[in-house]
Amino acid sequence: MDAINLLIEGFSLAIQPANLIFAAIGVFIGTAVGVLPGIGPALTVALLLPVTFKLDPGGSIIMFAGIYYGGMYGGSTTAILLNTPGESAAVVTALEGNKMARAGRGGPALATAAIGSFVAALVATVALAFLAPPLVKVAVKFAPWDYFGLMLIAFVTVSATFGSSPLRGLTSLAFGLWLGLMGLDQLTGQARLTFGVPQLLDGVEVTTLAVGLFAIGEALHVASRHLYKPERPIPVKGSIWMTKEDWSRSWKAWLRGTVVGFPIGALPAGGAEIPTFLSYTIEKKLSRKPQEFGSGAIEGVAGPEAANNASAAGTLVPLLTLGLPTSATAAVMLAGFQQYNIQPGPLLFTQHADLVWGLVASLFIANVMLLVLNLPLVGLWVKLLRIPLPWLYGGILVFASMGTIAANPSVVELLLLSAFGVVGFLMRRYDYPVAPAVVGLILGPLADNALRRSLQMSLGDPMIFLQHPSSAIMIAIATIALIAPFVFKGLSQFQHDED
Amino acid sequence: MTERSLKLANRPAVVVAMVLFAVAAVTYWDASQMTARATYGMGANAASYFICLFLAVLGVGHLLTAFQTPAIEAEDADWKAIGGIAIALSGLVGSIWLGAGFTLGSTLLFAFTARAFGRKSLVVDLAIGAFMGLVIFLLFNKLLSLALPQGPFERLF
Amino acid sequence: MRQFLKTAVCLAALAGTAFYPGVSTANDLELTITAPAGAGGGWDSAARSLQEAMMATGQAKSVQVVNVPGAGGTVGLAQFVGSAKGAADQLLVAGITLVGASISNNSPVDLTQVTPLARLTGDPLVVVVPKDSPIQTIDDLLATIKKDVATAIWVGGSAGGADHILAALITKAAGADPSKINYVAYSGGGEALAAMLGGQATAGVSGYGEWEGQIKSGDLRALAISYPEPIEGIEAKPLKAQGLDIELVNWRGIFAPPGVEGEDLDALKAAVDKTVKSQQWKDIVKARGWTDYYAPSDEFNGFIASETERVRAILTSIGLAQ
Repeated sequence: MDAINLLIEGFSLAIQPANLIFAAIGVFIGTAVGVLPGIGPALTVALLLPVTFKLDPGGSIIMFAGIYYGGMYGGSTTAILLNTPGESAAVVTALEGNKMARAGRGGPALATAAIGSFVAALVATVALAFLAPPLVKVAVKFAPWDYFGLMLIAFVTVSATFGSSPLRGLTSLAFGLWLGLMGLDQLTGQARLTFGVPQLLDGVEVTTLAVGLFAIGEALHVASRHLYKPERPIPVKGSIWMTKEDWSRSWKAWLRGTVVGFPIGALPAGGAEIPTFLSYTIEKKLSRKPQEFGSGAIEGVAGPEAANNASAAGTLVPLLTLGLPTSATAAVMLAGFQQYNIQPGPLLFTQHADLVWGLVASLFIANVMLLVLNLPLVGLWVKLLRIPLPWLYGGILVFASMGTIAANPSVVELLLLSAFGVVGFLMRRYDYPVAPAVVGLILGPLADNALRRSLQMSLGDPMIFLQHPSSAIMIAIATIALIAPFVFKGLSQFQHDED
Repeated sequence: MTERSLKLANRPAVVVAMVLFAVAAVTYWDASQMTARATYGMGANAASYFICLFLAVLGVGHLLTAFQTPAIEAEDADWKAIGGIAIALSGLVGSIWLGAGFTLGSTLLFAFTARAFGRKSLVVDLAIGAFMGLVIFLLFNKLLSLALPQGPFERLF
Repeated sequence: MRQFLKTAVCLAALAGTAFYPGVSTANDLELTITAPAGAGGGWDSAARSLQEAMMATGQAKSVQVVNVPGAGGTVGLAQFVGSAKGAADQLLVAGITLVGASISNNSPVDLTQVTPLARLTGDPLVVVVPKDSPIQTIDDLLATIKKDVATAIWVGGSAGGADHILAALITKAAGADPSKINYVAYSGGGEALAAMLGGQATAGVSGYGEWEGQIKSGDLRALAISYPEPIEGIEAKPLKAQGLDIELVNWRGIFAPPGVEGEDLDALKAAVDKTVKSQQWKDIVKARGWTDYYAPSDEFNGFIASETERVRAILTSIGLAQ
């Protein structure tokens, strides 16, 4: 087959010693920068892009792939160890991962994230190489009404992150939805809840909310209890590696996460966050030990991390076949291509086949390199927790605010960050879950836009959602998923009464 | 039964309910002020009204629980430590606001956060913070050519 | 602690004297260019390209780019007008989107308050239909719009942007009420592209470069470009050549702060003009796929005024400005 020959050619380029070194350097600095809280893979790649320009195209793209994967992995490291996700797609990872790290199981959590990312990226890259052209044909058929159906499904899954009380979970979600209103409405240009402050016209950045609620909220919370209940995270308890049980609980989660992540990532407006929510919910439902969720279940790290990486490979489908960047990271990658006068698009696979396969091969190499470099480093990362608390949290706050300032050096942004920190502290203190707020901010505007675009195209006729089989099916799934638990509960209650 | 519903058992829940009602009111007011109209389908205020309703329902929910379930015992908090971090954050915001630069801001942020966590030697922490801030600044501005806010101090480089 | 503060104050005073160097000869200019958008966008790449060209041609000793994103550029413009007043080492990159954003956001500042130095580039917009569409020519499209303006669904970039303005101009030219236009806004040409390829829209507008691949591969049919004259390498003809008196160019330009006058202003004008006429700049423009749309300061000044009036009139007709 032609594709396989081209792939082998790509590998022969990527495997040259010099290029292997570039890959290693890329992975290393990508991880080092990505590990800083508040700096996700998109900013990492954007910041380090100029470094790659100094190399020849081949070496540059290989280094670039390394930085990309390194940045992705670095983002989940801080989520797990410090409860400060570097990007929105790592929010779900923080939920179980940080609980594991606190219980001295940071090693296995990092390992399952690394191996899960590796497996997902490997499978997804193969899928990218062979399925991209047909997949994209399906993906562009995804119309606003279909997105609305997908959003409804995603909303139903949020309840998995609610913790003990649905009322408090919904309140947190409502807070996120409310923040999602802020800014200029994309469809009409109407300003919502901006109170005349021009800096609010662009709305609230998801990273600002996530870093504020998680990193700063966490710092305030830990500080407030420091005097009364000095809590030291336990760096390592038991083996630093995954046990046999960890393996048997992880591998299915990796594969399921990949299956969820890749196709949604390939949708032009799918994004990386929704697959992580879906994967978390699926793992919680299928787990043999659902009671462990909320206190450190390894599936809750393995699944979402795999989903995140698979969806990242998925975003390359529209990028390479349509020239359509669907995530911040993809947008930066597009800029990387354009530096070499290569415009990704429908002709890329035919005109620059060598480059596409070179990139695919580089992604493979970078992926392997990441695993080789980072598994031994797990022990080192876990030692981060041995830094004395005052310096650890001082450092977290400096890096977290630096990430915000680097993206947008405005006082309003910093005030928002601080305010979200205070809200995050109060939410922790009164037992409100923080993750639903981030989910609300991500999903709210997407659902709003999808709904209103559909109605605009149908001239206001709501039947449009049911006339298209695809959206009708998704809405039905969402409805069933919402109602089923109540029905089952009612049935068992009923049987109980009969007895 | 009546006795129980009269007793306020959960003060935080009442406060949250009030906040929710207030936010709902602001959202309603904001939505009623909107001028841009969608020619087809729903306008931008539809989502505002929906969330306004959602917030109000949650507010009622909180009020109901306030009279039914007792509050979770909030732990004692070390308000001095919270204050320390508040100073740290205002130090950062202040120095960006007044154009004193990133390095000073992160120095104050680091040192006062460390102090909030019980460190005594402020001078050492200030030095560490300043060093860290400077290294970050140089890394971003020189190596990555991304301009972090500059004050008089940063312009020396 | 006190010692530290003292030292800091001394350092600050010392640094203050080194700040804002007076402009002497063009070649040792130390400039800061504000890009009123985040890193990676169109204005950012224009600013960084200019930075590259000015340094390469020796028209400036050092150039730094500062990103001030927010509200379609109005945040960056407001900051520029407020804090850089009279500073002869500050520049701003802006374009037609900022003209529209200032109007629709009711911003207290607009581009008539800064000093135009030169118009740099201008990219054409393109009007397309899906490849299976029965619409073959721009006249077919006009007839479709005239028949029922509501079911003629347009897709393009954000509300009030250049794409929206062009769609409104064409609707008006078709003899329909532009306030009844059914324009579905997306966050940018990319997302709108998916809607075009998925066949959910009647017609679409975007920057030509963004959809070039699909036009060349035949997935989209280009009906016209909005540039006044034909462009080499673009098959689609200008609207003007097809009997419609419409032109709209997505231009970008470079500005100095208000209050920069006399020698200082002349030095900046000279540095920019020499840069723009250099081979290095021409190479960058070509590599980035931009179209040269240079106009010197005086001409650009009048252009800004007329463009502001024109955009305001269109935005008012589609109900986005009062």
